[in-house]
Amino acid sequence: MKKLVSVLLMLAMVFSFILPALAAEETIKIGGIGCLTGAYAMYGIGVKNGVDLYIDEINAAGGIDGKLVEMVWEDEEGDPAKATNAYSKLVENDGVVAIIGSVLTTPTDAVADYAAEDEMPLITASATAYYVTTDRPTVFRTCFIDPFQGYSMANFVKEEFGATKLAVLYENGNEYSVGLKDTFMAQAEVNGQEIVAIEATAAKDVDFKAQLTKIKDAAPEVVFLPYYGPEAALILTQANELGLDVKFVGADGISSTIDSISDKSLLKNMWYSDHFSNDADSDMVKNFLAGYVAKYGEEPSISFSATGYDAALVMCEAIKAAGSTEPEAIVEALRATNVEGVSGLLTFDDHNDPIKSAFILNFNEEGEQVFVKQQNP
Amino acid sequence: MTYMLFLSQVLNGLGTGAIYALIALGYTMVYGIVKLINFAHGDILMVGSYTAVLVMTGLGLPFPIALMASMIVCVVFGVLIERIAYKPLRESPRICSLITAIGVSYLLQNSAQLIFSAYPRPFPTVFRVKPLVIGGLSISFTTILTVTTAVVLMIALHIFVMKSRTGKAMRACSEDTGAAQLMGINVNLTISATFAIGCALAGVGACLYCVAYPSVAPTMGSMPGLKAFIAAVLGGIGILPGAMLGGFFMGIAESLTKAYISTQLSDAVVYGILIVVLLVKPSGILGKTTREKV
Repeated sequence: MKKLVSVLLMLAMVFSFILPALAAEETIKIGGIGCLTGAYAMYGIGVKNGVDLYIDEINAAGGIDGKLVEMVWEDEEGDPAKATNAYSKLVENDGVVAIIGSVLTTPTDAVADYAAEDEMPLITASATAYYVTTDRPTVFRTCFIDPFQGYSMANFVKEEFGATKLAVLYENGNEYSVGLKDTFMAQAEVNGQEIVAIEATAAKDVDFKAQLTKIKDAAPEVVFLPYYGPEAALILTQANELGLDVKFVGADGISSTIDSISDKSLLKNMWYSDHFSNDADSDMVKNFLAGYVAKYGEEPSISFSATGYDAALVMCEAIKAAGSTEPEAIVEALRATNVEGVSGLLTFDDHNDPIKSAFILNFNEEGEQVFVKQQNP
Repeated sequence: MTYMLFLSQVLNGLGTGAIYALIALGYTMVYGIVKLINFAHGDILMVGSYTAVLVMTGLGLPFPIALMASMIVCVVFGVLIERIAYKPLRESPRICSLITAIGVSYLLQNSAQLIFSAYPRPFPTVFRVKPLVIGGLSISFTTILTVTTAVVLMIALHIFVMKSRTGKAMRACSEDTGAAQLMGINVNLTISATFAIGCALAGVGACLYCVAYPSVAPTMGSMPGLKAFIAAVLGGIGILPGAMLGGFFMGIAESLTKAYISTQLSDAVVYGILIVVLLVKPSGILGKTTREKV
């Protein structure tokens, strides 16, 4: 019995070396790396589901220039060392032409380092840390980095409310808050909007009345709140107490305000941006959701399925545009990306971060989330 | 308008200061009688807040009942902590009970984290009252409520300590425990009563705090606890009107610093004021300077 198993294993190994070589003629292989098991598997599976959905669709439509696309997935369990091993296996043994992955920031950073050295085109659908793409010209992403939402919100308040007098309240020393404040203010300046008050708070503050009183005195039309839910709830409550009746806007952090506020009617004055919304009103999103439900039997539970779908889409479009599977040609085509994905219109900036749509949401009287619009860049 | 802005900021400060003052009363009373800085006092505030939030959202009972429940639970906790943790150490060096107090503080915080998780819970909206507007100056109902409650309770407490038998016993114990015992005063009972009253005030403080800042978390008590302790020292620890004065002083100083100097420096300025006051008048603003007998 033991002998039989070992013979079978041996055969399997031999075939695993021969088969890819045979298949390489007819298919274009893309490597997928992600945490498909372990504590963060929900993220990895979310991305994989999105990617696989697009690959199915493109193959059903005839593939790229008549060649089918094959995804080769490797599980790295969220471990950077396993992620780099997976990368080596995919590149050296499977002969993939590009990589989609990884999922979490740390393993992605490790893999991106290898990819940059090999000049291998790589797209991550979910690593949001700024440094992942820094000085790595072949590394791209389809999720936006958090501060980017500040840019979208400055445009949103200009287009939707015609707001020209803005105020900013932010938490000093908090990377998320400061990053958002900076991008919001930079874009407001580009838009010619006036910042009438900039007030800072400290970590663990519960009393924001002094700052809100000053903001009220400056009479803005919109106040930008780059916070998380618990602080945002206190700010909205105290602003109401002080009679500060303005519109509040923020980023994905304040989507959880609903769990922290008791007077839900205050939420109707608040708008925030998110990476994706299942309620978005575009044909692309509707097709994506219909395809996802048909393949997996449920709606995607995290927005990384959408960015995963987009990562596969951007990569395949780039290979198509490059007309070859040479790494330099693919990277060149990636840089020139300008496609409509499910998470919006996608192009890349100098740092290989996407410039793309944000999904703006609001709350109704009962405190339920309502999709407002897709804010294009 | 700048004048109005100044007045609004003073009002904001009074609102915060009133809460500091209520908690500071508890610190000051306990210190006055057993010379112990009860660092767990801020966490009693947290216990009171969770009681109120559970009574209101869990049992669906109205705010006044939640207030009563919060006071009762705080009193029970305060008296139990005194009996279990502080009483056995009453004859030990003062540093022992101080460290025990810090230990009790962490015990309460971590237990709450275990039971209720670290994520803050919203406190239900109690008063839906529009801010009162007088000539362009809007005064929120919460500010009016906290300031009046704090002042009324302080006056009541002062009368109680000055006139009632228990109050007299408290003052006697604070002056000389040994002599008080010889005069037939039940020292243990008096100390328990002091803890009970201080914690009942913390219960009221907890409810007012939750009305003003409707978010309840396991570590919520540490910052107001620390500020209230400073307020008590600033006003003169052991002196009841001093706690009130210190509380209001702290609140207004904080608010004005945030408004006119820097939001980042507000704590630094407040602590700076404390250092200056202690350098000039070590016994606090209302403290009597006692000459050291050599």
